[in-house]
Amino acid sequence: MSTPRTSRRAAETWPKPAGTRHSACRFCDALHVSEPVEEGLAARCTRCGTMLYQNRPASLARATAFGIAALTAMVLAHFFPFLIMDAAGMRSKLTLVGAARALIDQDSPLLGVSVILFTIVTPLVLAGGLVYVCLPLHFGRSAPGAVSVAKWMYRSEPWNMVEVFMLGVIVSLLKLIKVADVEFGAGFWSFGMLMLFMAAAVAGIDREELWDRMEIARGGQTAGPAR
Amino acid sequence: MMSAAPPPGIVKAADRGLAACEVCGRVSPLPPARCPRCASALHLRKPDSIRRTLAMLAAATALCLPAHLLPMLTIVELGRVTPSTIIGGMLTFWESGDYPIALVIFAASIVIPIIKIVTLLWLCAAASGWLHPSPAALVRLHGITELLGRWSMVDIFVVGILVALLQLGNYMSVIPGPGSLAFAGVVVFTMLAAMAFDPRLLWDRLDTRQDPARIQTRESPPD
Repeated sequence: MSTPRTSRRAAETWPKPAGTRHSACRFCDALHVSEPVEEGLAARCTRCGTMLYQNRPASLARATAFGIAALTAMVLAHFFPFLIMDAAGMRSKLTLVGAARALIDQDSPLLGVSVILFTIVTPLVLAGGLVYVCLPLHFGRSAPGAVSVAKWMYRSEPWNMVEVFMLGVIVSLLKLIKVADVEFGAGFWSFGMLMLFMAAAVAGIDREELWDRMEIARGGQTAGPAR
Repeated sequence: MMSAAPPPGIVKAADRGLAACEVCGRVSPLPPARCPRCASALHLRKPDSIRRTLAMLAAATALCLPAHLLPMLTIVELGRVTPSTIIGGMLTFWESGDYPIALVIFAASIVIPIIKIVTLLWLCAAASGWLHPSPAALVRLHGITELLGRWSMVDIFVVGILVALLQLGNYMSVIPGPGSLAFAGVVVFTMLAAMAFDPRLLWDRLDTRQDPARIQTRESPPD
């Protein structure tokens, strides 16, 4: 067994639950003793170099703040159109729900539901879940059902397709610009902000830190110094 | 009593009967088969990883045919009905000189799904001993395919957007075609296949190759 390649300075690490903790590389399964790492540094696997965990600066504050910003951008993206098109004397506006409803109305309910799942539900679970879990952790508390929420965040992460939908809007605009007057609406720019805030929120806190803090808030004894 | 086939000083969690929780990452002894921290099911390796990956890949490959042969969408313009496939839509962009978009569609709809299917087949072959397992390189390849997979969905979103916007009564309307559902299936099944694959199997294979005695300490049966 080996310790990860890190230097340690206990004052800047998150509190660890009591007892010796191990971490195993998710790629090569090499076993390491979990040592605290300094803020801004990461622990890497001694065999294959994969990152095991990292200590993000001001993690709880960042995840909460960017999570709230993402939720705000999400609300705006639902109120304003993504594209505004004038053609044949008619003005049509595109919204996320509109795209999903059009597919459902045109006898493609499965496609409509996937648009809702990948562009509305998963970002909401991710950003909303981060705020729901991280905000109470600031005060050393665990929100009711935080474990289930964190599990759902983990499960929905690969299915978040905000940036893919952005590319879809751009491709559609280029396709439509030949037959009609099309322009980006405020919803498109809000969705762009959502994409950036979501990335910042998810990268704001490491999985190991989130779960360690949740474990302590739920009643485990504190082994390390609290921040 | 550890048979250390990997570089000296490195021990695998599985050799000590320890399993990392897939959801919260906590390493705990197995049994009990539940993570003490988040109550998720614990496994030394993802159960039936190779078989599940292959099953998902079979589904994705089968759906490739209808996805490319059936129309993604049908344009009804002044009573004239024009079905359009993925490749047809891409060629329209190419012919009208929109090379960047044509390339984006070509990459997202044709190249990425093929690369994903071939890569995952290669990974399964390497993990079951048919090819040399070069974990460091293959694991990176696996990571890239997981990262790229979602981008194939772009065509489905374009269909949704066009269907929503182009409902101009008798003048012009757009109807989604059966090809788009099949293509969405290709994307979802390749993503599920990438998730079902366990990259640790590649390192296991490498270790058993370097030290055949190690097979006895492992759960997986020899070839």
